[in-house]
Amino acid sequence: MNELEKKIKAKIPGEDTGIEIKRSLCAICSPGCHCGLDCYVKDGKLLKVEGTLEHPYNRGKLCTKGAATRNYIYREDRVRTPLKRVGPRGEGKFEPISWDEAYRIIAEKLGTVKEKYSPHSVAFFSGYCKWYRPILHRFCYTFGSVNFGTDDSTCFKSMDIANSLTIGAPGGPNIPNTNTFLGWNYGGYYSNHLSVGPVQALKERGGKVIIIDVRYSPAAKNFADIFLQIKPGTDGALALGMGKLIIDNGWADMDYIGKYTYGFDKYKELVQNYPLDKVCEITGLNPDDVFEATKLYATNGPACINFSASALTHRINGLQTHRAIICLGALTGNFDRPGGNVPSFASYIHKRGGFTTREMEFREEKRPFDQLRIGETRFPAWDEYCDEFQAMDLLRQIEEETPYPIKAIVGFGMNAKMFPETDKLVKAFDKLDFFVDADMFMTYTAKYADIVLPSCSSLERGEMKAYEGGYLAFTKPAIPPLYESKSDVDMLCELARVMDLDDDLIKAGYEVCCDWMIEGNGVTVADLKASDLPVKIQTAKPVVPGAYLEKGCRTPSGKIEFYSKAIAAYDPKYGLNPLPDYVDPLFDENDPETKEKYPFHMIAGIRIPNTIHSRVHEVPWLRSLRPDPLCEINQEDARNLGINDGDAVEVSSPYGTVRLKAMITAKLQPGVLAMAHGYTEANANVLVGRDHLDPYSGYPGFKSLRCSIRKY
Amino acid sequence: MKHVFTFDPDRCCACSSCMIACTDQNDIDLKAGEKCFRKTYDTEVAFKEGGIYCAYLSTACMHCEDAPCIAACPVGCISKDSDTGFTIYDNTNCIGCKSCAMACPFGAPRYNGADGKMVKCDGCYIRVKHGMKPACVRACSFGALDCIMEEEYRNSGSDKACNVLIDQANLRKKEALRRWR
Repeated sequence: MNELEKKIKAKIPGEDTGIEIKRSLCAICSPGCHCGLDCYVKDGKLLKVEGTLEHPYNRGKLCTKGAATRNYIYREDRVRTPLKRVGPRGEGKFEPISWDEAYRIIAEKLGTVKEKYSPHSVAFFSGYCKWYRPILHRFCYTFGSVNFGTDDSTCFKSMDIANSLTIGAPGGPNIPNTNTFLGWNYGGYYSNHLSVGPVQALKERGGKVIIIDVRYSPAAKNFADIFLQIKPGTDGALALGMGKLIIDNGWADMDYIGKYTYGFDKYKELVQNYPLDKVCEITGLNPDDVFEATKLYATNGPACINFSASALTHRINGLQTHRAIICLGALTGNFDRPGGNVPSFASYIHKRGGFTTREMEFREEKRPFDQLRIGETRFPAWDEYCDEFQAMDLLRQIEEETPYPIKAIVGFGMNAKMFPETDKLVKAFDKLDFFVDADMFMTYTAKYADIVLPSCSSLERGEMKAYEGGYLAFTKPAIPPLYESKSDVDMLCELARVMDLDDDLIKAGYEVCCDWMIEGNGVTVADLKASDLPVKIQTAKPVVPGAYLEKGCRTPSGKIEFYSKAIAAYDPKYGLNPLPDYVDPLFDENDPETKEKYPFHMIAGIRIPNTIHSRVHEVPWLRSLRPDPLCEINQEDARNLGINDGDAVEVSSPYGTVRLKAMITAKLQPGVLAMAHGYTEANANVLVGRDHLDPYSGYPGFKSLRCSIRKY
Repeated sequence: MKHVFTFDPDRCCACSSCMIACTDQNDIDLKAGEKCFRKTYDTEVAFKEGGIYCAYLSTACMHCEDAPCIAACPVGCISKDSDTGFTIYDNTNCIGCKSCAMACPFGAPRYNGADGKMVKCDGCYIRVKHGMKPACVRACSFGALDCIMEEEYRNSGSDKACNVLIDQANLRKKEALRRWR
């Protein structure tokens, strides 16, 4: 090998090697992340990826999934052309059709449903990776349907609603300025890799970390000064018990409480029901550990708390649990102060850039109001704080057709495995007149569609993206779209033209829509495209801690609400509590017979390094890291049941059964099982009952349900 | 400009992005049975007195100073790169005798099924010569893996060079990493 051949083999960029670095972003996970990517490209082909060092968001870092980008985009089951189903739903038999024909069929079928039933009988649904949401949302409204839904029905939004009810704002932990980080359900390493650096820095400057988790996680091992291994779903009781300790020991900030909070007396009365011994009986914790953790959080301030987007709220007591945790910040004066939890609002698709866009106005100006959304009136807190249908009612409405039938679904990256009783949902698809799904891959869900449209990856398109610190970006394709795939937004804009929707903006194309949304910020899409990196927006303002409280919270009382006036206003028929009281996470599965038959507490949906939801399980490099779906089980339980590491096991609930392999561990407590979600061959969510839902938000109790396990 | 690989077990979580980056950099063909040159371990070690230690580790060729694989190779495939100090190879003349693998205490050299020839981690020495970090190091989000100049390492007073760590942890015996039950 000569020197040039060696350089080419080592993929060194340069004129001599013909390898160029093109900038893009990784859109494998949630748009709350999306790291900058350096794409090593030669002759239009991707050779490898690295994180972009100069990117203001990820500073060169990538997680395990992002590192596998090349294997992800060149997956063999990429959808290559528009497809029309020719076999039964779910079988996966399709024939290729042209884009023109696909658009024609979609326009005709949606038109028929609109005419025969109503526009609301078409449900529009966005799964991952969400970047096209503003366009799809407006498309749905322009079409005339109230039914726009997303994976928000099971992720992030319940926490967000609890924040809105209690503090009127999101409130992330300000770790760089804190002394104590209460890592409530904080995993970090496998779910939010960029959050780890600030915690490492905190430890290096002598700060303290408390980790509360059901598993002895890498974060617990590497960071915890105090680790509380809590019984699943009992976090609400712990938070109320900590509240009592803080009040009883005089650690509460009474000036702050008097000035900025509402309903303290009622809350104080509530926490009297949670003395330390009772809390420890519920949570399985050691009283001394709880006392020390509470003291550390309350007296070694400023202190901040990890707000858990899914883990805590994936329980049927989840929304109130999160409210109870927020209350600790109110008690100790740690909300909206440097080093505490600081409010900041999203600029564009969940990203907090410190500037405002017209993302909401973009859809609102087309919104119809002439029908109830799917699930509306079932979960009052959801109805008030989220302008999407609550998809946990979709299965019921397709089956029962009340208050009106759902006859078509327009899915973008739709994931049926997100739904409890997945098997029942895909069966219910038989009642649909039409189902179109756009996706990069021939997924489990796409196999049920009548038409499948080939989406391209983030590397093959241009997209607008906001970033923390006042940045906005518009990427350019690093490689051309593979096969006949297209950008999701281009599909929508082209379809709008074919259907001749009454919407000049969408028909004008994605970039025109983006310009409309960012107007007033002193930049245009053309400006953004001129840069390979995110552009600093002049209108962006840094968050000033304290300013929000001084202005008054966006809650009914204008204060932080221990006692929620919004919840108090809901019809008493819902039986909701304005105070963040604790209820058992299995309250609907506690009858003696179910308890005996299903003695284990299953956490269906843990994070492992090589998967995210259902998105990358079939990426060969990532799959090789953990080839089989695994059910984690405590070593003592395994011994008692005669289960060895790697044994084939069957896990059952009253709703379904999955078969997978046992992974024996001491990181879990006895009586607890845990598995990752998203596998087709072992889909955790068939174990979850469709009505095992949080009555406030409609969120499924994925992470607290009853199961049994046996060798088979 | 001799370089040293360092590893901090208190920063690792066995997320394996180092393995994926190695696979990406070296075009490892998993379908053909090839494996990348780095391996991670998520291992629970039980204490006699109860409780566990969770070991999160990432290992590859240690690029030993007195690399036994070099002497073991009968046809002189393996050598030290004079710039980086990494143990590199040219397997043109490899006869597939596996002497290098047997001489290596860590089992770093591997054999490709297709041509029966030895391959191993070369420390991404061409990248390093061009001012880049080895692929695995570049992919580590947590600062667990690093590759620094020998001088910088000596001045840092760190004891986290890979070969030193391995001796400390008494992990020269491969079976010590067997998963604890």
